[in-house]
Amino acid sequence: MRKFRFRSILVLVAALSLVAAACGGDDEPTEPAGGATGGTTGTGACADADTAAGDLLAQICSDGVIRVSTDPAYPPQSSLNPETGEYEGFDIDVATEIANRLGATIEWETPKWEAIIAGNWQGRWDMSVGSMTVTAERAEVLDFTPAYYFTPASIAVSEGSEISSADGLDGMTVGVCSGCTYDFFLQGSLDIPGFEFPPPPAGITVKGYDTDTTAFQALESGQVDAVMSATPTIQAAIDKGRPMQLLGEPLFSEPLSVAFDKSSEVDQASLVEAVSGIVEEMHGDGTLSDMSMEWYGEDITIDPSTG
Amino acid sequence: MATPEVGAGETRPPAQRPQGRMEGISQASARIPFKLKVAVVWIVIFLVLAFLFNAADFDTQFMRDRADFVLKGLTYTILIALASIVLAVVLALLGALGRLSRNPVAYGVSGFYASFFRGTPLIVQLFLITFALPVIVGNLGLPQSFEELLTLDPFVAGIVGLGLNYGAYMTEIFRAGIQSVSHGQTEAADALGMTYPQKMKRVVLPQAFRVIIPPTGNEFIAMMKDTALVGFLGVVVAQAEIFRRAQLVAAADFKPIEAYLLAAGMYWALTAVFTFFQSRLERRISKGYVRGGTTTAKEKKAQFMSASAAGGAGGGAGMAEIDTEEDVSGPELKGQGH
Repeated sequence: MRKFRFRSILVLVAALSLVAAACGGDDEPTEPAGGATGGTTGTGACADADTAAGDLLAQICSDGVIRVSTDPAYPPQSSLNPETGEYEGFDIDVATEIANRLGATIEWETPKWEAIIAGNWQGRWDMSVGSMTVTAERAEVLDFTPAYYFTPASIAVSEGSEISSADGLDGMTVGVCSGCTYDFFLQGSLDIPGFEFPPPPAGITVKGYDTDTTAFQALESGQVDAVMSATPTIQAAIDKGRPMQLLGEPLFSEPLSVAFDKSSEVDQASLVEAVSGIVEEMHGDGTLSDMSMEWYGEDITIDPSTG
Repeated sequence: MATPEVGAGETRPPAQRPQGRMEGISQASARIPFKLKVAVVWIVIFLVLAFLFNAADFDTQFMRDRADFVLKGLTYTILIALASIVLAVVLALLGALGRLSRNPVAYGVSGFYASFFRGTPLIVQLFLITFALPVIVGNLGLPQSFEELLTLDPFVAGIVGLGLNYGAYMTEIFRAGIQSVSHGQTEAADALGMTYPQKMKRVVLPQAFRVIIPPTGNEFIAMMKDTALVGFLGVVVAQAEIFRRAQLVAAADFKPIEAYLLAAGMYWALTAVFTFFQSRLERRISKGYVRGGTTTAKEKKAQFMSASAAGGAGGGAGMAEIDTEEDVSGPELKGQGH
């Protein structure tokens, strides 16, 4: 009998050690992410916020910290500067300014893009400033502010390619980031409430990659004939010396917004409202236009559907 | 062993006169030490690689500039691998005892554990632990604190996932190690009236570890490369290991090939270092079991070479060969700790 008990205990210990491993990790102090952080003004939206409300905005204001997710694989929106070890880009600047106007500092989280768009963040981060397109599907699990800018989407081909227009893509393979809006567009399933799109190029085969960067590499190594991505991203790659060229004018522009988790256990409504107000304010006082000029060389913060 | 015979058979029939020349060459060649010939082969391979590298026109300036940044991930690569192997060893020991147990619960649980974690891809397990676990726990209606506990940081999720996965593979290693201990040993322990824990701790496990340690070292080396998968879980820069850092610099400058070559070089150097120590450790452990007392140094060398030729693959055989001389003077070292 004695030996049986001993063995059962062993199995129990196995289960416990798993839990212990989990605890041990959670207790580890989270190292601050090497990112740009907004200076606390102590004023901003938090000055007016009801800190006793117990909702997400109140929590952020009393901690003075807002956790923002970013995927640093998308220059010029968000990428890592290896020299400084900090994140930089248009989204990074926008997020920093939003935090500034809230009166909080930023703590960066870098979850996988799929984890951000899937919602159900489990309180790991409070807000996503990640150039996210407001699709009908995403709106079911996420709350959005009004768009903070409108990114044009383009197709690119290899430098010196014989393909000269979207019509020439018939029978060709187009590389794209899997599960992103361009993927949906090429498959003909993109649905953004209030926006109309041209039909995708006819006769193409779509090939999905983990990020745009990998799709660009696939173009260079001849695995695809063309790639589709955000025009600024393609332009940034061309500027960094990748041998590719834009194919004609952008196909469409899409609205990009700040996102929040609908399933958050702490009420996020007042935070969505506060950040929406800040985004409108940044549109109004030209802050967004200035940032757009800085990172994209043109102002793409104006809604193309209204002018 | 079959390959050289086939080769010889092919060349023999038409080579009436050339045979003499071939013999001359092989006799001359026999005088050149094997080590030297292997070294020449390696040098030729590296020259070809260098030529290809040059021809591919990679951005070497970029690689030099970013090497420092990527190399900073080494600490986390090693940290993840060490923490995971510790967890894996604990799980493997428990798993092996469970597999050898006659208790249906212990046997069933360890059987399920080994089957599931060996039967699903590591990357899938890592995603499940990172993303599915919190959702499942959340839907169970358990207290909030419990949910937060199981919402693992990617770094911790990586360690847990690697530990669970490798622990499952190592369960078999540990089981085989324990079973390799002669039955007479357990019988003797029983005859002395030892309890099960006493028997395991004092008699079986110390002998089993001689068999277990070398393959565990191999698993550790394999695991160091699999830490790269943690990069897919979205770790922050401060905790990023080599591959994640390579991904980041690849994205920032649109230079994936250069960045991944950089990472490949670092992993290779890292595993080469550990493989070297691993082979030394292996020989040290087996030292007490090699009958070296009556054989001459030359016989020992021959024995050792045939053993390494039979068992060694790739660089392993070469490595063993290089160290043979030291091994000849082995008996004096017998009994020294490590």
